This record gives sequence, C-alpha cells and structure tokens, in this order.
Amino acid sequence: MWTRVLNWLDSRTGYRALLHHLLDEPLPPGTGWAFTTGSVVSLLLGVQVVTGVVLGMYYVPSPTLAWDSVQYIMQSLPMGWLVRGLHFWGASFIVVATLVHLGRVFVLGSYKAPREVTWLTGLVSLLVILGFALSGYLLPWDQKAYWATTVTVNVARSAPVVGEALATMLRGGEHLGALTLGRWYAAHVFILPLLLGLFVVAHLALMRRHGISGPITPRQGAPVAFFPWHVMKDTVMMAGAFSGLLAVALLLKAPLDPVANPADASYVPRPEWYFLWLFQLLKYFPGPLEPVGTQLVPGALVGFLLLLPFLDRRPDRHPWARARRPFTVAMLGVAGVLTGLTVLGLRDAPPTEHGATWGLVPLGGQALVMGEGATCSRCHVDGGAAAPLTRVRLRRDDEWLLNHVVDPVAIAPGVRTEDDPAPRSTLGRYGPQAVVAYLRRVEGGTAAPEVGPDVALAASTFVGVCATCHRLDGDGGQVGPELTDVGARYDKVALQALLENGQGRMPGFAKRLAPEQLQALTDYLASRK
Amino acid sequence: MGKLPGNASETLPAGRRQFFVRLIQAIHGAMGATLAVVVGRAIGGPAAQAEGGERWLPAAEFPRLEEGRPTTVTLRVVRRDGMTDVVDRRVVYLLRSGDGVRALDSTCTHLGCRTAYNAETSCIECPCHGGVFDTTGAVIGGPPPAPLKELVTRVDGTRVMVRV
Repeated sequence: MWTRVLNWLDSRTGYRALLHHLLDEPLPPGTGWAFTTGSVVSLLLGVQVVTGVVLGMYYVPSPTLAWDSVQYIMQSLPMGWLVRGLHFWGASFIVVATLVHLGRVFVLGSYKAPREVTWLTGLVSLLVILGFALSGYLLPWDQKAYWATTVTVNVARSAPVVGEALATMLRGGEHLGALTLGRWYAAHVFILPLLLGLFVVAHLALMRRHGISGPITPRQGAPVAFFPWHVMKDTVMMAGAFSGLLAVALLLKAPLDPVANPADASYVPRPEWYFLWLFQLLKYFPGPLEPVGTQLVPGALVGFLLLLPFLDRRPDRHPWARARRPFTVAMLGVAGVLTGLTVLGLRDAPPTEHGATWGLVPLGGQALVMGEGATCSRCHVDGGAAAPLTRVRLRRDDEWLLNHVVDPVAIAPGVRTEDDPAPRSTLGRYGPQAVVAYLRRVEGGTAAPEVGPDVALAASTFVGVCATCHRLDGDGGQVGPELTDVGARYDKVALQALLENGQGRMPGFAKRLAPEQLQALTDYLASRK
Repeated sequence: MGKLPGNASETLPAGRRQFFVRLIQAIHGAMGATLAVVVGRAIGGPAAQAEGGERWLPAAEFPRLEEGRPTTVTLRVVRRDGMTDVVDRRVVYLLRSGDGVRALDSTCTHLGCRTAYNAETSCIECPCHGGVFDTTGAVIGGPPPAPLKELVTRVDGTRVMVRV
C-alpha cells in the first residue's frame, strides 16, 4: 500500500530522481572529516530559524514592550529561557563554525578556480551572519542592547562623507528609539533571512555544480557516494555541535540587563565577543584617525578576503606551497591580530554590573515599600486604583517616580496648586531615592535577597542617614567617599570609631544613632571588601 | 569527477551501509525530537498555564447595600496577558440578604451580552435577545438557558469581598 502511494507520488513528481541527485553525489576518494564544517554551519542555521520563529511569536518590537516580552520569554514561558538560550548562544556557535569553515576552505585551497564564486557567496553569507548578530543585539532593548547599538551607529557615523546620512538611516531618525527598533527588527526577521537564504542556496548550488574539492593531492580509487558514507561524518559533527550548544544553553542562562534607560549614560557598553576586536581596535585610533579603525581596517580585511581567489591564482593547493606561502602568512597574521585584539578586549575587565547588586539602599527602599507602615498598597492592590507593585512596570523617568513616591496623589505635573500644597514626605531625605532604587532592581529582574535583621537595620539606617552623602553599589550621594569596598580600607574597630566620632567633614553619630544601629552598620560595612 | 556506476557504494559492504543509514536517521531523529520538545513546550505552554490562584477583590461597603434591591458594581480585574497587563471590567450585582451577600455576574448566560437591572420592573434584563432574570438570577423569560452565574462572596468587617 505504502509502496504504491510512493510509486504514484514519484510518477507525478519525480521525487526519487531528485533524492538520487541530492544524496548520491559522487565524492572524490579521501573526502574526509575536514569537509564536514559546512554541514555544522547549516545545522546551526537551522536551529536559529526554528528558535527564532518561536521567539518571534512572543517578541514585541516596541520600546515599551520589547524588554517585557523578552523577560516574559525568560521567566514565564515554559522552556522560553531554553529557546532564547539556544538562539543567543547559537549566534556565537555560528560565528565560530563559520570561521572554522572559512579556515578549512583557506587551508585546503578550496576557493581556487573554478570555485571563486562559491567563495564569494560564502563570504557574503558570513557578512550577513554578522549583520544578524548586530541587529539581534538590539532587540531585547536592555541597557546593553541600547548602548552597544549607540556605539554601532556612531561607528557608522564616523564614515567619511556619507557617515551622517548612514547613521540617520540606521536610526530611522535623529535618535535611537522606536523607529530604530522597528527597522532593526525588520532587518533581523525579514531582510537578512531572505538574503542569507539566497546566498546559502547559491553557495550549495555552486558546491554541487563544481563538486567537492576533495583532498589536496587527488587519490586513486572509486568515488564514494555522499549518502550515507559522508553524511555519516557530517551527522557525527552536527550531533557534536548540537550537543555542545544544548549543553551551553542549559548551563548558562542568556543574559538580560535592566531595561534600556537612555538617561543613564553611565552604562559602559561592550559588544559581543566576536566584535570585541573591532571595539579594541578603536582604542588605538582616537580622534580624527577613528575612521581608520572603524572603516579602513575592517574594509581592507573584507576586501582582502573577497579578492583572495583572484590574487592566489596558481593551482597549488597546499598552504605551504611556494606560490601560496605569502597568502598563508597573511592569513595567519590576520588571524593572530584578530585573536590578539580579542584577548586584549576581554582583558579590559568590564565595570561592575550596574543595577544588579543589592546594596543597602535598595534594601532600605524595600523596607519602606513593603514594611510596616508602608502606604503604597492602599492604591497598589488587586482591584485598587493602581496595579499591585509586583506587577507595576516602570515606564516613567526617575524624576517622575521620585515625585510620585513623595506625593502619590500628584500623578501629573500641575495637579498641585498653591491652595493644595504637597504634604511633607514621611520617607526622609533619601527615602524616595531608595524606593526608586528598589523598584528599579525588581524591574531589572533580580529578586531581593533574604537578609537578616542586622542587615535590614543597617539598610534602614544607611538610607536614613548615610546615603545622603555616601554611595554604595551605585546608589547614594557623592559628597563623601564611596563605601562599596570600605571594608578593604578600614577594619571593624576603625569603622566604629569613625561612625561614632566622625572625621573631617563627617560628623560623629554616637548621639544620633542607637548603639544597635551603629553596630549593624559597622558589621555590614566591615564586610564590604 | 566521473559519474558513479549505479550506486556509488558497490565496493563497500552493504551491511555497513544499512547500519549507517539507521544511525544517521537515529541521530537526526534525536536532534529533531529534542528541538521539537523544547519548541513544542514554548508554543503550547501559555495555553496550558493556569491563571495563578483565586483572587478576592473588594466590591462594596456592606452597610450601603439595600435589602432586596441589587447594587451594580464594577470590579477592575487586572489580568496578565502574556507580557502585558489588561484590566477587565466585570460588572457584578450584589444582593444583600440578611447578614450575607450574594453576587451575580451580569453576563447573560445566553450569548454573553451584558445585562442591566431595571428598577421599574425589578428585573435583570438582557438588551440583546430579551432574556429576563429575577433578582436571584433565575431565568423568568426569553432564551437564556441557565441562571446568572453566582460568584463566591464573603464579608470582612464592613467590606464585601468577591472572588473572581
């Protein structure tokens, strides 16, 4: 029955001839493991397509919802974190696999006549893949996305003559915002997939047209069928890459920074590792020389690769053959420089992650919001005038939030008149900032740590007194010295003396604070090293 | 490359070929199945996720309810909708009877229109197809197949809470 159906299908479509054409391709004898690199890339591309489609079901390309939708995928969607993990780490896997493939093609001289155009289609595919990486980076709309893309756009802007127009084109306007996100999203899910599809199909068609280049020195013997003899090797390599990707995605959660905050210029963006060499390169070309780093060097590199099959035209395929030696040396040099720059870039330790650590200020803010006597839940409650705080999304700037925390009724500017002045805040001088710091941490997706009563007391004291002048983990005033690692500078005894008696411009607090408050503060600060 | 004579692998043992074919199918099957499970959960997941738990919303102050006459209240139910929140406005009739309160959902059991209390006739009427309910929610006319849905209530001090 089944055979009859298939026979009928074959008589109407001729699918068996197609399968025969696809699978029984004769390969030169000695075609070995080196020729499986392309299959690995295609498997990884397949995983990106499948996971990308699923992410596309939930992702919303708008600044107001993009971050929330990614957080939804990471936290609420069953297996969503794994889908995004596969997609996120898959990008890195593809870059590695593509470079390995390129290296293999270079070493075995597979780009030589008649395969020059195959090489060109492959190179364009690599550039498109890098375009995917760049555009995908913006989509989560977190701090890293926003500020890294700012850098990307500025790199484009440094191009001579067309720079400004190019940057405007990339942003979709004067500023990085909703219009930028829209066009980068469209590029990532419509334009680039179409381009990549075209070039990959061309690449494969050309590979079939010219056949596999095979070993450097042709071997005697009968050709070997692609299926199953070579497919077996391909499959083993694909399974290796897939297992590796799955393991990484299972072990390392794809990162998501706090939501993009265009007002927070203190964020230091870093690109993904495969662009780190470029990032590092820019450090050596300051000021007017910048286009050398942003355009000339990368342009020359791509140009060299594009021209390679037309420069290296002698038929010798061995990488150390006399005619090829200069090119091999050049390629090794390029690879060495890129690796070196990447290592240097990795060594420049990133600044401490802003907004992820729970210092005393957000902890103190938590007590003000959730603790005894807190009034937020009068309105922020199920069925109440405002959404419960656990569901509230911060869509306002800090200034608005501070005003609202101090004077909850005034939810719009100009609501208060002279006859109806704002009440005195009950939160103290730094309380409102602490509340906002707490809300931002929660919105950032990090759960508040469980702390003992001592740390809680230290937190409320710090917010009530110290934070006006001192900064800790990114929150607090900047009049006095930073206290983030104060424990490394003073021991417990010295800290206690300082707190009680003061020093220089700092007053003593022996009379203003209770002994247990002083004790809790001393213990906590001494532990900060 | 010359054309292969028929099947290219004549020179290689047929048993090994069969084994390789099965192995290739198994490995690709396993990769595909892994991906299908992950992706399938992510696609089918939200539908399978239940709304978290029961929620009690404050609906009215008990002393303000009149005996025998339904009071119409609107509940703001904030509900998760994927990555956003939406506010459902649910209109509920509260009926005081002695020390207790009954709550009826105002949605008509016929085709889901919103009913309204008509003080002149003392009936709850549906504007769509002429369904009529009495103040206990029982059908007294028209097409509705079932009485109005009752919601669980409790009285906390003076506050009437409704479970939605």
